[in-house]
Amino acid sequence: MSVEEVTQKFEETVSVDDEGPKTVLSGTNFDVKHPLNTKWTLWYTKPAVDPSESWSDLLRPVTSFQSVEEFWAIMQNIPEPHDLPMKSDYHAFRNDIRPEWEDEANAKGGKWSYQVRFKKNDIDELWLRTLLAVIGETIDEEDAQINGVVLNVRKSGYKFALWTKSEDKEPLVNIGARFKQVLKLTDADHIEFFPHSAANEKHHSPSITL
Amino acid sequence: MARYTIEELLQLKPSETLTANFPAEEFRAIIEKVSQVQALREEEFAAHHVGHFNRRRSSHHHGKPKIKHTKPKVTTDSDGWCTFEGKKKGSGDEEEEEIFKETVSTPIAQETLKIKPNNKNISSSRPADTTDLVTDKPTLSFNAFAALESDEGEEE
Repeated sequence: MSVEEVTQKFEETVSVDDEGPKTVLSGTNFDVKHPLNTKWTLWYTKPAVDPSESWSDLLRPVTSFQSVEEFWAIMQNIPEPHDLPMKSDYHAFRNDIRPEWEDEANAKGGKWSYQVRFKKNDIDELWLRTLLAVIGETIDEEDAQINGVVLNVRKSGYKFALWTKSEDKEPLVNIGARFKQVLKLTDADHIEFFPHSAANEKHHSPSITL
Repeated sequence: MARYTIEELLQLKPSETLTANFPAEEFRAIIEKVSQVQALREEEFAAHHVGHFNRRRSSHHHGKPKIKHTKPKVTTDSDGWCTFEGKKKGSGDEEEEEIFKETVSTPIAQETLKIKPNNKNISSSRPADTTDLVTDKPTLSFNAFAALESDEGEEE
């Protein structure tokens, strides 16, 4: 269902005054929402403050959303990437997939990775564009290859990663090309794909570079 | 499949702030607390590691340290004679300087020094010092006749 279809459906069901433009948000009835293809869960990794804290203590789901309106409500109420403390992570994963290699859905996949070395001013915008491309399903037109998206806040910069469910080169190359567009990268910039199966190796190299 | 482009989703962004479906204030408070803890730790770290000034100098990573030697003060008079001015003793303590002057001005008593012979030099082939030979002269020499006379005297 496209955005036009949802809006048309809303206009049919809700009576709106003839004076102003008819949009979903012009009325007071927010029951009708723009549904997303799947449910998404926002996760947050809290930086360790106490040495006794384990990974399972630090990685926690924040909330889930299934519509565009719910997504915006969350985005308006959580800190933007530039406000996050060092060693924080944001994860947005489909359904109930955990943002871990061990999860069944991730085990045979990998991730497209790009690091913004310097702290750019538009880091918040890039993260938002990545989220919108993922939840809007425009980054993955063929099939639901995308499992989730991750942002790591580190001293060296911000790391963007797009987690996929497989290592199949053909669909991944298309996804990678769109990922570069979303991140506003030029031909001189390169993104790398790392399979999760090689993640435990000491010096694992990317299987695809774009 | 529901698809939305980035532009479409941006159009659907509400102008007013919506209420989230989770305790957002609590979430922001956690992040705020972590940021404060990190800032505090950074301050503590900076206070204890102020650059490299607090570190002891390594003995093997650098060359020899530069040591500034003070040049001896030499004054030249009108005749062209140079006089070396030695370092004054003390650091402005006048009382100490006076005591030092007194001990220096006291004449040293003439004493007869007894010098013991150096056995090492005597036994060696090396010629002993003439002064040593004088002092090495035995004070008592064995007189065989006197010894005989004394023995006879005892028998009597």
